[in-house]
Amino acid sequence: MTAYLQVAGLDHRFGGLRALQDCSFTIEQGRITCLVGPNGAGKTTIFNVITGFLHPDEGTVAFLGQKLDGLRPQAIVHAGIARTFQNLRLFTDLSALDNVMIAIKSQPGEEPIGAIFRPLHTARAQTRRRQEALATLDHVGLADRAQDLVRNLSYGEQKLLTVARVLATGAELLLLDEPASGLSAGALDAIMALLRRLQTEGKTLLVVEHNTRVVQQIADDVLFLHQGHLMAHGTPEKIISDPALAEIYFGGAL
Amino acid sequence: MDFLYSYIVFAEIYVLLGLSTNLLVGIVGIFSVSQAAVFGVGAYVVAHFLMASTPLSFIPSLVIAAACCVALNILVTLPSLRVSGDYFVVTSFGIQLLATAVFTNWATGTGGANGLPGIPPPDVFGLSIETTQQYMLLCTVGAGLGCLCFYLIMRAPFGRLLRAIREDETAVAAAGKNVLRAKVSAAALAGAFAGTAGGFYATFLSFIDPSSFDLDASILLLTMVVVGGARTLAGSIVGPFLLLALPQLLTLVDIPTTIAAAARQLIYGVLLILFMLFRPQGLAGEKL
Amino acid sequence: MLALQLLATGLVTGCALGVVAISFSLVYATTKIFHVAHAGIYTLGGYLAWSLVVRGAPLVIAVVVPIAACTALGALIQVGLYAKLEQRRATHLVVLIASLGTLAVIQNIVAAVYTPNILQFPIPWSSRVVSFGPVRLTYTQLLTIVVSLAAYVGTMWFAHRTILGKRIRAVASNPMLADITRLQPHTVYIYVIAIASALVCLPGILVPLDLGLQPYNGVTPLLTATIAMIAGGVGSITGAFVLSVAIAVVQNLSLLVMPGEWSIGVTFFIFVIFMLFRPTGLFSAAR
Repeated sequence: MTAYLQVAGLDHRFGGLRALQDCSFTIEQGRITCLVGPNGAGKTTIFNVITGFLHPDEGTVAFLGQKLDGLRPQAIVHAGIARTFQNLRLFTDLSALDNVMIAIKSQPGEEPIGAIFRPLHTARAQTRRRQEALATLDHVGLADRAQDLVRNLSYGEQKLLTVARVLATGAELLLLDEPASGLSAGALDAIMALLRRLQTEGKTLLVVEHNTRVVQQIADDVLFLHQGHLMAHGTPEKIISDPALAEIYFGGAL
Repeated sequence: MDFLYSYIVFAEIYVLLGLSTNLLVGIVGIFSVSQAAVFGVGAYVVAHFLMASTPLSFIPSLVIAAACCVALNILVTLPSLRVSGDYFVVTSFGIQLLATAVFTNWATGTGGANGLPGIPPPDVFGLSIETTQQYMLLCTVGAGLGCLCFYLIMRAPFGRLLRAIREDETAVAAAGKNVLRAKVSAAALAGAFAGTAGGFYATFLSFIDPSSFDLDASILLLTMVVVGGARTLAGSIVGPFLLLALPQLLTLVDIPTTIAAAARQLIYGVLLILFMLFRPQGLAGEKL
Repeated sequence: MLALQLLATGLVTGCALGVVAISFSLVYATTKIFHVAHAGIYTLGGYLAWSLVVRGAPLVIAVVVPIAACTALGALIQVGLYAKLEQRRATHLVVLIASLGTLAVIQNIVAAVYTPNILQFPIPWSSRVVSFGPVRLTYTQLLTIVVSLAAYVGTMWFAHRTILGKRIRAVASNPMLADITRLQPHTVYIYVIAIASALVCLPGILVPLDLGLQPYNGVTPLLTATIAMIAGGVGSITGAFVLSVAIAVVQNLSLLVMPGEWSIGVTFFIFVIFMLFRPTGLFSAAR
């Protein structure tokens, strides 16, 4: 049986630094998997490899049996995998609605010829897409902030928007890079509820997370990464209660 | 009165060029000093077809010129943008200098340094445009259509995509969109505008020579966008109208003709520096 | 033999171009700014030297004063323009446009003061010819080769052996880290642009000594120099110099088969080849 997402033998160096070391794991469909590990373990690097922003020195990534090697980021989004960024990377001068609408697949008017010669068709399609985008924003709880510029949103709202943006791509596997970091208690609960809701709707989530409470509350599986290599995997209880891993995570050197 | 009509015609031609430069430099954020070269290609191509042994009429010639300029811009941006922005700077300078060399030395095609005289006035749907006033009407239609296209593009998802690319290309790629294709399309469109402007220029002046399409001309185009304002329709209109009035103002000051051109270019340089330092959004635009 | 003569003059041009390339590369590799105004400093140096020579100044003064002036101008551009723009978080594009504006200002002030016509240096010995078999070179051309090679050696020594040179290389390779470790990148930028401006004044005087002064003659050499820098690998001093000589020689030899007006086409063709097949250059990341 082919794994949903299979990462095999990833190896990558940045100059003298070995970021990934024979890293291999699989993700199962429909589950929320948390990727944990100390800083510098290679978590964001793995995201970059899976989503085509980085070509690893060695190793392959396969999604639903299809190899993703060498594909450009936008092709991987079309294949069904989308990611968020630790530093958000929202379009700050655009509205929340525009941020979501950009991510919507195949819109008429995305190239000049259609925009100039079929303005009515473009406008009508945009109205439909706008409804879709508003629904997505509503889904994450940002419907009333649709017209506001991103620079005017709170940090918690911006984080919700990053999730809305990946939802808009229509991807089924979502890679979320620290979706809960820096949030207040209320915003934290909102995000966790959202992630669980996405799971019930059929999305598969791979989440990088530092907050152990979040990991405990949402993760079905946990992958513990250290020095670019998968050290351990299992249920949240098993990983969190392991003293050796705790030593690495909290006490060990970077 | 004729003098005012001339000014308006030139301003409108440069509005088309302003839209072109604004698309490339203002909206996509590509540093281009080769706009005048593309302008020149448009002018020479239209002139060629209007004066060929079996001449074409104005609008078909414009279409061919626009197509040539689209191809030129795609050819130039596609390889260099794949590598890095600074590579395009070198490419742009290279294209401009190369174009000037071609315009000046390929005497059979372009008349060489002496230029191409005797370009016939345009004939549009059987009507021959003879007077300056008639030309102004034609040009206004042309510039108006250009502005309309620009407006439609910026309103459409394409415009939003370009704005997002300016902010963060990586995030756009992560949203599933092809950044390179969008940039090259914008460059192609900029080529179409510039080529069309060239056609109008050639038929209005009935004489063109390489000095209208050199590096100094490209610098003037940049200045128009910088002063008028980047990334907006208003900026693309304000810039040309203002900067074309400048030479008229300069005639009030007593400057010897030998250095008149240098004086103008000096002012453009100063304007570029001042606006970049103190008002990067220009008069009616958004911050560059 | 014509080819040998062309080769020799190509070497001369290439050496001068090499110094332009090295100096530009210093600024670009360190500050990441595509400092097109460099062409203006190149142009200004020659004109200042000419003004002094024409007023009867001794040759030493006619060389030292322009170098000092260029150095000061370069530092002024960094402090008064680039640093200020960086403070305002200006985009790369804004800095490029400002640099272009500076180039236009310098070139056109020169054109206004000295007129756009070609001026020659009134130095009789500069055009005296020396023969090496079938090849004939003027004193100026020989001087150009010697000075340029000395500048290359000097720059290599400076970059690798002096503390400031190493500091510059550190900042160039990692500005953020340099900032944190107190290497003061912004002070380094001023040094870099000052040194580069002083360097580029040398070909700025020697080339017009050979070919005459013209206010707008800085752009083409700068373009060729940047192509040499890219083809040689950004950050490689040797790469920039060697490729400059190579490009100039190829350009000159192309005169055997095509008219001189198209030599820019040759240079550009070389650039396109590198861009398509080897964008990182031949000696990339090596210094």
